[in-house]
Formats: sequence, C-alpha cells, structure tokens
Amino acid sequence: MNGAQAMVKCLEAEGITNIFGIPGVAIAPFYEALYHSEQIEHILVRQEQNAGHAASGYARISRTTAVCCTSSGPGATNLITALATAYADSIPLVAITGQVDSSLLGRDVFQEADMRGATESFVKYSYLVKRADDIPRIMKEAFYVASTGRKGPVLIDIPCDVQSQELSRPFEYPKEINMRGYRPNTKGNAQQLAKVVDAINHSKKPLICAGGGVILGNGEGVVREFCEKNRVPLVSTMMGIGVLPKSHPLYFGMLGNNGKPYANRAVASADLLIIVGARIADRAVPRPENLERQLKVIHIDIDTAEIGKNMGPTLPLVGDVCNIFQSLIDADIHIETEEWIRRLEEIKTGTVDRRHFSTELVNPMYMVQTLSEKMEDDAIYVADVGQNQLWSADNYVMKNGRFLTTGGMGTMGYSIPAALGAKLCRPEAQVVAVCGDGSFQMTMNELATCAVNKIPIKVLVVKNGYLGLVREFQQKNYEKHYSGVRLYDYPHYEHIAKAYDMDYVECDSNDTLDEALDAFLSCGKGCLMVCHVASENLTI
Amino acid sequence: MKGIFSVLVENRDGVLSGISGLFARRGFNIDSLAVGETEHHDVSSMTIVSTGDMRTIDQIEKHLNKKLDVIKVRRLEENRSVLLEMMLIKVQYNLSNRASLIELCNVMGAKIVHLSPKNMVIEIHAHPETVEEFIELVRNFGILELQRTGTIAMTKA
Repeated sequence: MNGAQAMVKCLEAEGITNIFGIPGVAIAPFYEALYHSEQIEHILVRQEQNAGHAASGYARISRTTAVCCTSSGPGATNLITALATAYADSIPLVAITGQVDSSLLGRDVFQEADMRGATESFVKYSYLVKRADDIPRIMKEAFYVASTGRKGPVLIDIPCDVQSQELSRPFEYPKEINMRGYRPNTKGNAQQLAKVVDAINHSKKPLICAGGGVILGNGEGVVREFCEKNRVPLVSTMMGIGVLPKSHPLYFGMLGNNGKPYANRAVASADLLIIVGARIADRAVPRPENLERQLKVIHIDIDTAEIGKNMGPTLPLVGDVCNIFQSLIDADIHIETEEWIRRLEEIKTGTVDRRHFSTELVNPMYMVQTLSEKMEDDAIYVADVGQNQLWSADNYVMKNGRFLTTGGMGTMGYSIPAALGAKLCRPEAQVVAVCGDGSFQMTMNELATCAVNKIPIKVLVVKNGYLGLVREFQQKNYEKHYSGVRLYDYPHYEHIAKAYDMDYVECDSNDTLDEALDAFLSCGKGCLMVCHVASENLTI
Repeated sequence: MKGIFSVLVENRDGVLSGISGLFARRGFNIDSLAVGETEHHDVSSMTIVSTGDMRTIDQIEKHLNKKLDVIKVRRLEENRSVLLEMMLIKVQYNLSNRASLIELCNVMGAKIVHLSPKNMVIEIHAHPETVEEFIELVRNFGILELQRTGTIAMTKA
C-alpha cells in the first residue's frame, strides 16, 4: 500500500463520505487512490477557496470534521482564505494539499509554495509529511485536533513522492492519540464552578451572552435548559444566532454594532454577564473596558487564551459548554429574575427602530423577515457578507433551523459554496443562500458544481448595484465619495440562472414580494432570485 | 513587567518559527530567546524573556500553552530562579589602558579567552544585568564585536 492509498483508508476510517477539491499533478497519486474508493465521493469545485467554504458548510451542518483538498502552489494558496475563514469561526476542517517532491522542497520549483509557513497563523495545526509511514498517525491526529477543544482547520501538506511511497509496514489506523502538547481541558474547574454558581446566586439581573462556541460545542440544548430552569435571559452574538429561537420569551436579540439596540441596553442594564463561547470582538462589544468596570463578567470558553484577550473577566471558567452547563443545571441555583425579565421586555417594546428605509423597491429588512418566516422549520439559511449579512442577522426569524455565516473573518462569497456543502450534507433540508450582488459574483462559478452534482440550493441576491456596505461607509465617513464600489447592472441574472439550469425569480416591490418568495421557495430545483433594493438603504 | 518563560517544546522542524511567529503576530516583545536540546533528544527547551503589562504577559503564557508543539510552559519568578547569560565581547586596548581592562575583567569575573596585540576577546557568563553592566564598563575601551546568547533560566527549587 502506498501513502496515497493509506490516506484514503484513513479518511474512510474517519467516516468521510464527501470531500471537496480540485486535483493537480502534485496530488495526483491521492486522486488515483480516491478513484478506487467506494465510500468517498469527490466533489469537484470550480475554485479551491470554495472547496474550503463548502467543507465548512458541510462541517457545520454535520457537526463533524469535513475534508477539502487541493494541489500544490496556486491551488494550495487559493485555499488559504477559506482556511483563515474556518480558523476565525473555529470550524473543524482537514485540508490536504499536494506538494512538490520532497527532494525538490525549498528550491522554488514549478508550483511550489511553502504552505506550512503561509498558513502558520490561519490553522490550528499543520503537518508536512516526510514519510508514508507517518500518514496513519498524522491523519488520526489531524482529525482529533480539528474536532476537539476549540475546533479549527488542520493542514496536511504532502509531497507527491510521499504519496507514492510504499508503507514499510502493514497499514493500521491508530486507535490512540499520543500528543503530549495537546490535552484540551473540557471539564470546568470545580472551585471556579462553585464561584460561578455563587455569583449567579448573588445576581439580580443576570444575562447570558451566547456566541458561536455554544453551537460548535453542541450546547444549544443545555444552555436553553439552564435559561428556562433558572429564568435567565439571553442575548447572542452574530455567530450565536440560533442558540434560542427568535420567538423564545427569554431571547433578547443579537448584541453589537449591528445588533438590536435593546440587546445592547440589556447588557448595559445587567449586573452579571455570563459570556459563553464568544470572543468579545470589536463588532459585538466595541468598548469591553467599559463593561469590565460596570458589571461582573463570567467568561466561559473552551480556549484558555480567549479569556482575558479582549476583556478581563471577573470570573474565568475554562471547559466544554455541555459539561459546564450540565453542572450549572444540576447546581443549587435560586434566583428571582421575573422583575428583571419584565424590565427587559419593557426595554424591548420601548425601543424604537429609527432606521429609515427607502420606499422604493424591496425593503431588505422586510424581505429577510418574510423569507425566514416562510422557510421550513428546520431550514438552513446561509448569509454572505456585506449589508445582506447585517440585514439577515438582524431580521432573521430563527425557528429550529440553522443560521450560517462567517462572523469572524467576514469573507465575501462564503454563502454559495457553504450552502452547497450544507445541502450536500442534508439533501432533504431547504437551503437558502442570501448574498449581495458583490458577494454573488465572487463565487457564482459554484452554481456549476451545484448543477453537475444535483445539489439544488436556492440563492437570493439582494441587488443594489453596489458593494453596499462599503458604499454605506463612504456615505457616512467620506462625504458620499463613492470610490470603487459601483457594480452597475451586470451580470444579467436571468441569463446566469439559465446558464446553470436554475429557475429564476425577480422582485422589485414589497407588494409582489410574497408571491415571489413563494415561487422561489416552492420550486423543486435550484433557483436564483434577485431582489432589487435601493442603494440608499443603510444597515445602522 | 518582565515575563520569563521556560518552555519545553517538541524538537521538530517549524516549531521555533511557530513560536517566534506567535510573538510577531500578536505584537508581543521578545527581549531574548535561547533554545537548545534537553537531555531528551526529542524535547527542546526555550527560555523566552519578554516585557509587557500584566495582561500581555498572561496572554503570552496562554498562547504558548495553546501551541500544540508546546509540552510545558513555566513562568519563572526572577527572585526564585537562577538567571544566566553568556557573552563574548571583543574589546580594543592599548598599552596604557591594558592593565585597567584586565583588572576590570578580574573584578567582574570575566575571562580573557584570546589576546591579540590590539584587542582581546573576553567571555563572561553572569546574571543578565551583570552582563549589561560589563558592557557599559568596557564601552569606553572600544567594543569591536559583541555576541550574547540570551538569558537561560531555571527555578531554584
């Protein structure tokens, strides 16, 4: 058995059924081995970055590690943006990149790129494989590292000759991991936990701020149970949308610059903030030092290095969200929060949205709300980046589905490949990608991948002829000097839909929106819908 | 404040660049960095000295721990540790100041390891502050070349 065959065996042992990628000479032995696999189906994407995003969408829906692969040099460097995106959002990926022959490493030969060096700050860990015999151990470690602790992408860069090299001993996939430098702490420290319980018992106005870590840790159930049992209200970050459904009486919206004003006022009025699985990044909490002074902060995270990075908590607690919240559910907590919840409801109903929306064309807030209300109960909504993301996050009506977006890196073009990955993972689910006309054009080539592989996703383009969020920024900060942001009226979307065998729906008024969305959601195959919105509409 | 970290790492390619990259990327200072193999060939020991506010020093410790090739991180307290640095320094002299330079070396515990007609190579291994002092003391003689190893450190207990 050679190295490439061993790699495929390892992937099969990990239960992998789909991988996303583009082949090349430096990864050819691996593709030859893949050709003979009955378990693994390869999805040929149209650009390597999208292999990473598609794997990300797949991983988030399957809640397991997903795999992407590319050749060496430009194929591999194309993948870097997707790795950085997955790293920022802590998505478990194993990325396999081909590399030039090991005897040629460092000589700048054709299509050589130092991938380990280039991705040092964008991956959780990386390997350059030197011997075929190391492959089983490395693959085992890679899947373990990607999917445990704070999840993230792991890179395996493998020279072509190592893929062809015969293993010197019979193939055996290791059962055990032995990494002395990596032992993620999942159980919360008992003393710290006792202090947390004490702090909760002493609070009158506790509030949970749930981040993407709750979903990554499969903690929606326990967090919800804790909130309901102890009547603790909750706000979320953008990546934490979905921890509680929008209609839940204890949910008070998304906080931050682009969040609900009442969510921010809830944070400002609380006496104890319990942050779970969130980075306290600048978009969610612009001035963490103010919060530090105002109230007690408990920071719960699986990653020790997150604690104190952006904000100094009163009480840190490191561990897995499920373990910790199960302990908190079992703990002796008695608090009276009804008055606090009533106060939050008053804040919520008393906060007036002063944003002005154009009466021309479609109101994007109304569109997101109507679309998500019409979507199936467990549908998957993938928001891209730009104004469309902020309108989506702000107005999405979360039921029991999933809301996917890239909140950390904010990578335009994420939605179509991620929706493709999500749909492949759950073919029965309704999957809708919502993007702007800027982000659509960054990855619309993947509509071919959808067509070829019969992955019928729905794509809704919020079209205003501009890179809208940059335009909005220029409007506010640069005296309406719209520099380099105009997209004009291209492409002709109905032709794009036709080119990829998709149905096409277009809408330019609130009055016809209902009907258009019904047609969009009910069609049996892939569908492209264009919603014309006025470029004057703002997000804040 | 000063942070002295004694870090055990896997003795593998790419580990040093990973650690130095971490400092560069997150804007942490490296005042000195000394690396060498330990008694186990697969483990290297690094002593890293850094300065920053308390939050920064805490973050350095956490981020070092987060690295998968890092086996153990210890934060050393200066007064409970032995700190040592070695330096080779080439200093010029003439007949009139030669005696005072030799006397200075004797007082400071430095050793003359090579003598040429116009300059001498002096070796000193001492506490990093003593090494600093020695540099200042010989500066007026004329320093031709200087090499320091960086601090290595170990707890007393």
